[in-house]
Amino acid sequence: MIDFKDITYNYSHQSGVYNIDLKISKDEFCFLVGPTGSGKTTLLKLLYFDLFPHKGKVEILKYSSATIKKSSIHKVRKKIGVVFQDYKLLKQRTVYENIALPLHINGVGRKKIKQRVNEALDLTELSHYSKKFPNELSGGEQQRVCIARAIVKNPDVILADEPTGNLDPTTGHRILKILEQINKEGTCVVMATHNYKLISDKAYRVIELNEGKVVSG
Amino acid sequence: MIDKIAFLFVEGVKNFTRNKLANFICIITIFINFTILGTFFVFGYNTDNIVNFFRSKYTFEVFLNSDISLDQAVSLKNEFLEDSLISSVDLIGKEESAKIFYDEFGEDIIEILGYNPLPVSLKVNLHDKDFDSEKVNILIEKYKPNLFVDEIVYQGNYIDSIESRINLSIFIFLVLVLLLIFFSIQIIGNTTSLSMSNRKDFIEILRYNGASNLFIKTPFLIETFLQSLVGSLFAFLLVKYGFVIINSYLGFNIKIDDYLWVWMIVFSLIVSSYASSKSMKRILL
Repeated sequence: MIDFKDITYNYSHQSGVYNIDLKISKDEFCFLVGPTGSGKTTLLKLLYFDLFPHKGKVEILKYSSATIKKSSIHKVRKKIGVVFQDYKLLKQRTVYENIALPLHINGVGRKKIKQRVNEALDLTELSHYSKKFPNELSGGEQQRVCIARAIVKNPDVILADEPTGNLDPTTGHRILKILEQINKEGTCVVMATHNYKLISDKAYRVIELNEGKVVSG
Repeated sequence: MIDKIAFLFVEGVKNFTRNKLANFICIITIFINFTILGTFFVFGYNTDNIVNFFRSKYTFEVFLNSDISLDQAVSLKNEFLEDSLISSVDLIGKEESAKIFYDEFGEDIIEILGYNPLPVSLKVNLHDKDFDSEKVNILIEKYKPNLFVDEIVYQGNYIDSIESRINLSIFIFLVLVLLLIFFSIQIIGNTTSLSMSNRKDFIEILRYNGASNLFIKTPFLIETFLQSLVGSLFAFLLVKYGFVIINSYLGFNIKIDDYLWVWMIVFSLIVSSYASSKSMKRILL
């Protein structure tokens, strides 16, 4: 499902990821761990084609960074749910509207949108917040909205970039629990974190990065 | 699909109502530019009428020698009528000439001089269709040596200069039209850029959620369409009723094309879609 083939991507200031070879299979839940600047976000960005490798190629859901056209990137992204550390929610839209956005993009009908948004709201325990605006919510609630938006389109892969980075440990655990539940329903989850404590008791695959290289995993 | 279109349309309308100041400036610009352009359209539409008006006056007068008889004048008139350039010929006798003189100068020439010195003349009217002043000049030159003819007076060259001025005006109008279109494109393009910059986060979020460029562009295109529609509609109303008022108060007969509103609105939509597409292409690279 996900295949990094000898990937190198370097930023102008001598950082990036180097010679990464990784395979992540369908239904897998894996953590990308490492200190700040180790290349976790870069790897995720390479997966949703926000960045393109300088060397090697990334393959995800049968799309390859080597062959994909710019005009086709949206097709991959329709099948990927991305959870951002800074949430990236639309401040002038309600929780419901934020979650419904990917479904509008995918051309889903209004009735179906209502049904699926309500399901996502239930899963993330946000049903009571559907009419609220993001700035009326706490960090943890906003992150759950972000997760709900990512899962509402039934993606094949969820990419979560430090989803617990700004949250207290209890909320962090709650977020992780939601992601685990999504994974149990058959969605591949790749979660970047530097919070070792949070994942210490988990039996999932851990890919450790340091200075842009895979140390273990 | 219908839900998707409805969503995009609503987004476009929301954009339109949110960016009030930028949209207002853009609408005002479109309104001013298209009022001027609409006025040019009306002038252009009436140019033919103006030219035809002058052409309807295309006549030349042939003053005959004082010693020719009426029969000879009639025979010359018939000779003129045989020419394909000429539509009709009016024979103006001595009495009628005296009457014209009286109408124009308020004096009875027979009373002043004791006799009528005015010659018999022919007023030759030319066909306005396929008019060619060169051919008319050749015709006049042909008749100048005629024994019955004393003098031929032709205003055609004066009318030619009016026509060439009209053509020059059309050329200047066209240059101005191009300048106005260019100016409109710049303003509309900048407004779209501004609108997109204001909504950079929205565009980014749409992209990360799998929106295609077309999906992202559509609300901005709808916003631009609304700007053009409002701007050009008001411009049309001003141009149309402006000329209606001018016609009724000044007694002019400026004609307004029945499809002026279509020209103005469709043209503004084309200009604005081109401008905003160009601007979006630059931003959404």
